[in-house]
Amino acid sequence: MTLVRYSDPDHLDVHQFLVEEAALLDRQDHAGWLDLLTDDIRYLMPVRVATARGAGFDTLPDMGHFDEDLYSLRKRVDRFATDHAWTEDPPSRTRHFVTNVRTFRAAGGELRAESSLLLFRSRGDNREADLLSAGREDVLRRVDGALRLARRRVLVDETVLRTQNLAIFL
Amino acid sequence: MTFDPVTALADVRRGMIPAYIYNDEEVFRLERERLFSRAWVFVAHESELPEPGDYVVRRVLDDSFIVARDEQGTVRVMFNMCLHRGMQVCRAELGNASHFRCPYHAWTYRNDGRLAGLPFHVDAYGGEDGFAKRGERLLPAPSMDTYRGFVFISLDPNAPPLPEYLGDFAFYLDLYARQSPAGLEFRGPQRWRVKANWKIGAENFAGDSYHTPHTHASVVDIGLFREPKANKRKEGALYFAGPGAGTTYKLPPGDFAEKLRYVGYPGEMIERMGALWSPQQRMLVEDDGFMVSAATLFPNLSFVHNWPQIDEAGTVAPFISVRQWQPVSQNETEVLSWFAVDGAAPESFKRDSYKAYLMCFGSSGMFEQDDVENWVSITEMAGGSMAHRFNLNSRMGLTSAGEPITPPMTAFSGPGTARQGFGEFNQRHWLSMWLDHLETAPPATERLDLGART
Repeated sequence: MTLVRYSDPDHLDVHQFLVEEAALLDRQDHAGWLDLLTDDIRYLMPVRVATARGAGFDTLPDMGHFDEDLYSLRKRVDRFATDHAWTEDPPSRTRHFVTNVRTFRAAGGELRAESSLLLFRSRGDNREADLLSAGREDVLRRVDGALRLARRRVLVDETVLRTQNLAIFL
Repeated sequence: MTFDPVTALADVRRGMIPAYIYNDEEVFRLERERLFSRAWVFVAHESELPEPGDYVVRRVLDDSFIVARDEQGTVRVMFNMCLHRGMQVCRAELGNASHFRCPYHAWTYRNDGRLAGLPFHVDAYGGEDGFAKRGERLLPAPSMDTYRGFVFISLDPNAPPLPEYLGDFAFYLDLYARQSPAGLEFRGPQRWRVKANWKIGAENFAGDSYHTPHTHASVVDIGLFREPKANKRKEGALYFAGPGAGTTYKLPPGDFAEKLRYVGYPGEMIERMGALWSPQQRMLVEDDGFMVSAATLFPNLSFVHNWPQIDEAGTVAPFISVRQWQPVSQNETEVLSWFAVDGAAPESFKRDSYKAYLMCFGSSGMFEQDDVENWVSITEMAGGSMAHRFNLNSRMGLTSAGEPITPPMTAFSGPGTARQGFGEFNQRHWLSMWLDHLETAPPATERLDLGART
């Protein structure tokens, strides 16, 4: 895998993709977000665990907060589109701050992207807002010329999440 | 405003709930001192510690315990404080270790808790006379026992034996935990914090079938789970037995295998259940036609079992989740949610069941998302002055004279008391146990000198 320079069109495309994706999510355009995914999407957010430095792992191998394919993601989006997803009515106000984007060229024309995410989430009026920090490791593929997300691994930076649920995508 | 247990005694036992109990400092203090000081509290499942040296660190409120499998294979639970100056011995939340070494003064403990060594024992302490190291170990949990691999501790050294405590609820626990001789494999937990009082989730899972059609309307809308329509939920039975209570769904007609196949179990798992379960357990499914769904073992360990459709083809996959509502404060709870699956299940079943779990429950689960919103909101409303001025009516199922509207079921093969249809019997049962504890003085404990020669 080779690091792609910022001036390279591939990096510019990747960065723009991630920023546009964040804009869709913050507008709650979940159907639009689904259109950015390949049919074989895998969307994984493993559980982080506090292990000793020498342990060699800091995620659980067999448990995630998310471990999704297109079917399950579509169901989640369909649910938000019903009139009965109470937890998001009123909706959360989210802002996805995407930074530290690094693009890599991988085999077979795939692009890998690493990025940092700070997700601000505020619900209601009285409640304290949540800040979720995470890194994302993405595999992007061109489908009919446009970039699509084929795989995302979210490395959330907390082992105990301080948000009431994951009715939001990272 | 202070909580007066004497008044609450009368109110809660007649099904009237002072609204402020869901967000009150005094109530929380009493729960800490009188309930969590003596109740059997779940800390881990043995399947989380497959190898010698495996450990997890878990809490009972503010008390941290290392749960470890020692070199001989015995699971032990030890208070996570160094015997010297009180340093936290293990600051990781899981791992594998033959020894725990305190980073402060290098006191070292074997993974069974025994103090293996401390620097300059002779020079600094004059040997055994100064600090009696021989036989010293990290403080064991005051009481500890296991059932079907579930490791429980109590902070009361005189807690009643666990099997005696579990009583008739063991029958229902086995329907989740004993699908084969292999028992359950736990994965996880997912851990997250919600600004809700811990009791609300415990009560909900104990007996709230009434909320399913509306809170979870969206999962029916999208075709995730066929069952939760109101008319179907009403056909289910509610039961309480010993310290536990739960809800069930009514299954369509069929024999034992057909009913379990409807729920999504493959033939080989059905055979093992059929061979292992008691006649009454089999009758509950086959003749009475009920399948366990949610349940709570007092105080704060809950279970859920549903069978959603997990793909375009409409594959039905059942899953089990075990969860603990770990109190953080009067208005905050940490949820520890595990996916559990029978160890002997085929790999393809485990994969499908895990997918089903993630879609429904846990930090991202589509059922759980809406549950949590309800509980957070209740807690917020319960924290002010108005919540001290009235009792919430939790008398569903009783007439004003206190008579049950429907009699207990006779065609129910499980122990305890069961009723069909909606009712808050189980919540009243849970709250009654809660009040029993709050009315009882904390257990007597001795204060001991560590390292002192006797």
